Amino acid sequence: MEAVELMEMNPAIWLTLFFAPIIASFPIAIAWVTRQDEFARRLSVISIFGLFVSFVITVYILFGVEEGRYVYPWLPSLGINFAFMVDYLSKYMGALTGIIAFLIGVYGYEYMKEDYRLGWYWFFFNLFTASMLLVVYSDNLLMLLIGWEGLGIASWGLIGHWFRDDDELSYVGVIGRKVGPLDMFWSPSTGGWRAISTIRIGDIPMFFAVAAIFTLTGSLDISQINWEHLFEMIGPWGTIILLIAFLMGPFTKSAQLPFSEWLMTAMTGPTTVSALLHSATMVAAGTYVFMRLSWYVEPWKLHGAGVETVYLIVLFVGLISSLYGASVALASRERKVLLAASTMSSLGLMFASAAASKWVGEFAIVVAFWYLMTHAFAKATLFLVAGHLIHVTHDRFLCGDIEVMKKLKTSAAVTLFATIALAGIPPLTAYWVKAAMDEVLHELIHDVGVLPLALLIIISVVYSAFLAKFFVLNFVKGKKVHLHLHGGGVMTLAYTFMVSMLVILLVVISGAFDEHAHEFVHAGLVATSAGVGLLVLAAYVIGYVKPEYNSPIGQVLYDRVYVMALNDFIVPKIGWAIAWVCDAFNRFVDYVTHKAIPDLIEAYSNGIRAIQSGSLERYVKIVVGLILVVLLIASVMGW
Amino acid sequence: MELVIPALLILAVSGALSFKWKYFGLAGALVAAIMTSVNHPVILMIFIVALLNLVSFDLMRGFLRGIDYTLVGLIFVATVYAFYTQSLAMLLTMFVAASVPTYMLVMTADKDIRMDVGIKYITFMVIATILFIMGAVILISSVNTPLYYIGYAMLLIGLAIEVGVAPFHEWVPDVFDAADPIPISVVASIAKFVPFIVAYKILTTVQIDYNLLVFTGIISSISMFIGNIGGLTSTKPARILAYSTVANMGYILATLSVIARPEFIYIAFAGALLQLITNAFGKVGFFVGIKDGGASPISSYLIALSFIGLPPLMGFWGKFYILMSLVYANIIWLAAILVINSAMSVPYYIRLAKLVGIGSQRSLAATIVGICALIMFLTVVPPDWVIESSKILTNYLTIGGV
Repeated sequence: MEAVELMEMNPAIWLTLFFAPIIASFPIAIAWVTRQDEFARRLSVISIFGLFVSFVITVYILFGVEEGRYVYPWLPSLGINFAFMVDYLSKYMGALTGIIAFLIGVYGYEYMKEDYRLGWYWFFFNLFTASMLLVVYSDNLLMLLIGWEGLGIASWGLIGHWFRDDDELSYVGVIGRKVGPLDMFWSPSTGGWRAISTIRIGDIPMFFAVAAIFTLTGSLDISQINWEHLFEMIGPWGTIILLIAFLMGPFTKSAQLPFSEWLMTAMTGPTTVSALLHSATMVAAGTYVFMRLSWYVEPWKLHGAGVETVYLIVLFVGLISSLYGASVALASRERKVLLAASTMSSLGLMFASAAASKWVGEFAIVVAFWYLMTHAFAKATLFLVAGHLIHVTHDRFLCGDIEVMKKLKTSAAVTLFATIALAGIPPLTAYWVKAAMDEVLHELIHDVGVLPLALLIIISVVYSAFLAKFFVLNFVKGKKVHLHLHGGGVMTLAYTFMVSMLVILLVVISGAFDEHAHEFVHAGLVATSAGVGLLVLAAYVIGYVKPEYNSPIGQVLYDRVYVMALNDFIVPKIGWAIAWVCDAFNRFVDYVTHKAIPDLIEAYSNGIRAIQSGSLERYVKIVVGLILVVLLIASVMGW
Repeated sequence: MELVIPALLILAVSGALSFKWKYFGLAGALVAAIMTSVNHPVILMIFIVALLNLVSFDLMRGFLRGIDYTLVGLIFVATVYAFYTQSLAMLLTMFVAASVPTYMLVMTADKDIRMDVGIKYITFMVIATILFIMGAVILISSVNTPLYYIGYAMLLIGLAIEVGVAPFHEWVPDVFDAADPIPISVVASIAKFVPFIVAYKILTTVQIDYNLLVFTGIISSISMFIGNIGGLTSTKPARILAYSTVANMGYILATLSVIARPEFIYIAFAGALLQLITNAFGKVGFFVGIKDGGASPISSYLIALSFIGLPPLMGFWGKFYILMSLVYANIIWLAAILVINSAMSVPYYIRLAKLVGIGSQRSLAATIVGICALIMFLTVVPPDWVIESSKILTNYLTIGGV
């Protein structure tokens, strides 16, 4: 492992990066407690400015700061310090977070104009941004966990933003519909709870894993830990347990199976939240942490059976989750649920590609990372468009005929471009990245088999189809619907900028501005990649022509293969079982201390007092009898 | 010590004269008591107990008025003499001298004479006296023979019956309940000192065996448990006080097992004396309260809290010194049992305080109870004087000659 250089930088830059958004949200957060008038609403501009400041700093770090570690003292006696890492992954990811957060913040100015809880919204929105930046730039696992927790709490606060559960538009699912014992509709407050509880279940093993790493290696800095030595020390089973425990955090945060349900019902939050958290950044944090870990663990250099098993597990969890997500998205009828399921699918692909690094090398991580970036911009754009459509049509289900395209020309154009770019149709951005991904999984055939590549191709095809469905059923062939067209200028501006980032990425790839990304061009020019590209294009066209098809399998997929039974039925039953055991124990303790022991003592007491019958004859008999017994014992002892 | 004989003479004369006017008896008793008092903290405490007993007789009428002062004076003189004498014969005489006056006292009442109580009490006391004296003599003269164990057993049982240690306690609840509270306050307070002092002297002079230590511990544990558990469901104040006596005598008996470690005897003795003193004041307070039909709530709760062992009241320090001596002598199991029993005693003492603390009628009774309650505060400053006292008194513990 090449040594990472230790660098010096004024800590004020880091402090501003993290604290500017948080402090900038204080004016509106505090003011909103007492007044919710026009003046208070305008204070959100300060919050957006805070996001802008962070964005500027991330761009500065991208272009003006040298790669390396920046360390500041924290708990020197334990060897735990504030350690920031500026490397290939964090530079780009930081700038990505910065610009997406800022653009969505601007979008949110118009989108959330009429909201009743702006103080809460902006505080958690900015807290989220600061936490995400902390996760991105952290080299120290403890710092990363602080950011990680910030992401969780912000997610809960923002998903459950419309906590009064009084607006049908904020629900997920058809209200009142049931399948068996399961309610197939979820409110914002339920959504918030599902998010935080699922993430928490993943966080617990992750915390233990971090503690174990510190105990075993004495360090928490990802780039400094001697991973090879650690894995040798704990053996293959130890490696598997440690890494899987650690990865439970990323798995739950990135909504892989079987932890995917929270992401689907996270759509009860405002669309800005869905765009920022649940497409581009927070859910990507899980995959990002896995990529960051793999970047420094360098599994391609390690030969233990434990590491291989772990990466195989991640590979297949990613691919299967991706296939599941794509299928559910294909069958979805709600705008945001479709996009959420597609996000889950993309995250699976990111995990799979990064896991392939075990056999392929660092390039696989780069591919996964570029896919993350492409997906982030594209999906954020689509979410922002979906939000605009929900505003305009007052409906969260896929609807809108050609009238919508005529009235919202820019939105339609942006959506078309984003879907084609993301599907992997040549010659747009995702084609080159997906081609590189094909190449990576192609190299796995020797070690793992042809299954990963086959799954990737199937997933790409399905992905393309539902993206077409999204475009067509919103702008061309959907149900006719009444339009509320007013304003929307700021929102349109925001997502136009967002989609233009895809063009910038394309330029970077093709123009050889980045030494890694230039490889994608080579991959894209290979014949097999072109073949896959054509397959994807065909799928898009088919989806365009026939976006809807009723079938029993489709209905099962629409109900997300009943995975919600885990969240809504099985886990609650386990909880009730635990509660029952606790209650039984409580009642037992209560019985012993308040009934059994007092009754016992009372019986003894009454027995003692019963000796006093009043009869002197009886007393003398007792005493003389005892005297004789004692004297007998005494004489025996004396002998 | 030289004044003991004159004191006894004065007691005898004033006792006879008391038939004319009862306060002659009081005067004689006072004079005799002052004559025999020694300038020593523990003795002074016992003197105050005796004083309270004497004064409390004014709350009752009955056939023994006048001579009851003499009887209490006799018990006091016997107690003081028992501390200082080092002759076995004198010790055994003092044992009897402290015991017999109580035989008459329990039978006295405001209107009639309580024969049944007297018969019950005297039967047990006689058995006790016989066993104690025989055991003492056998023990002293038969070291290292099998008779030694029998002697020890007889001594211990005699002591047990005399003061009311379970499982030989059957007379205590009945007698405490049926007799008049005032004489019982004498029986329960000042009459308990001598048996223990004599037992201490005899046992410290003789070589004590480890098995006997365990045997003493077992008896005292039985007494503690029976006293405390029995008191938990008792409803009449006099019966609660009876079981309280059984338990307290158990605590004090536990200190006898420390005699196996001679270097800690002074702490054990200090604990025993302080516990006896607390017990004495407490019982006087409560029984006078019962006689009066009630006492001030503050006084009765204070005395109850002292019995429970709440620091810094006197009752805490007695138990504390006993525990200290047990721990130093490494008899941890007995210390643990003592602590558990202390905790068990809380409910019935509070119940007792509630039953008795309903307000007094006669000012004399209220004063006596008030003094008893106030004395409990004497140990707000930790009572090193008891330890120092005890160290001096342990010099007199060994018996020399007959």
